[in-house]
Amino acid sequence: MEIAIRTQADVSLVALVGHLDTNTSAAAQEALNGLLAGGSRKIVVDCTTLEYISSAGLRVLLGTVKVLERDGGVLHLFGLNETVREVFDISGFSMILPVFGTEEDALRGLLG
Amino acid sequence: MRRLERPATIGESSSEGTGALSFPQGKMKPRKGFAVTVGLDLAEIDRVNAAFAAFAEAEQLPAKLGRTMRVAFDELLNNTISYGFRGRETGLITVDVGLVESLMTVTITDDGKAFDPLQAEAPDTGRSTQQRQIGGLGIYLVRQAMDAVRYERLDDRNVLTLEKTITED
Repeated sequence: MEIAIRTQADVSLVALVGHLDTNTSAAAQEALNGLLAGGSRKIVVDCTTLEYISSAGLRVLLGTVKVLERDGGVLHLFGLNETVREVFDISGFSMILPVFGTEEDALRGLLG
Repeated sequence: MRRLERPATIGESSSEGTGALSFPQGKMKPRKGFAVTVGLDLAEIDRVNAAFAAFAEAEQLPAKLGRTMRVAFDELLNNTISYGFRGRETGLITVDVGLVESLMTVTITDDGKAFDPLQAEAPDTGRSTQQRQIGGLGIYLVRQAMDAVRYERLDDRNVLTLEKTITED
């Protein structure tokens, strides 16, 4: 898994490339923990290049959101493919995490 | 979704991997498939994924099914490799994939400790973020993605059988 991080104002954009599963979740957790430790409180996860996600990947996202929420932070996602969307729907994650169609929509309200 | 010509007796499923599957009556349908032996290492999941990808390409299976199966293999094999063989150095895990017309049957067999994943409590998917847990979610995702999932303990082995009728969309 490749994780590309860029910053726009005080928002951290995290692009997940490949798959988020048992064998890649540690790397993703480390990257997100790094952002949290660095003070990021607005995180947007770009899923346009995320092929699939398993429950190991959901655990990483949930752990990050739990920490963010306690500090008044937010995590938005966008660009889920059909497979990732299905996992989100079945697991109920679509109901508890803000999922957007495009980067523009995900960023709206977070910038400025 | 279940096909009438499939043998219904418990125990038949364990012989499917041999390729010697015979139907009780009617014309025999050709079975395509492959089997992979999996070592006790999480990196082995990717080897199963690669084998499935090669099979899916040869049989021109839908790309979406490939992604769904990668999630399923991740959930089931992670569990078995991580928890099924505690205190043991070696173990046997096999993944057998068979395709008869549009019905795909995946059988995952292991000689680890007896564990029926279908007994796991269904996750409460309606909870808020702070109360959500991940436990039980993996097998739940698999059950939702497949048409049928069965567990049997046969000859000191866990045998998990997944069935899915492949559709084009």
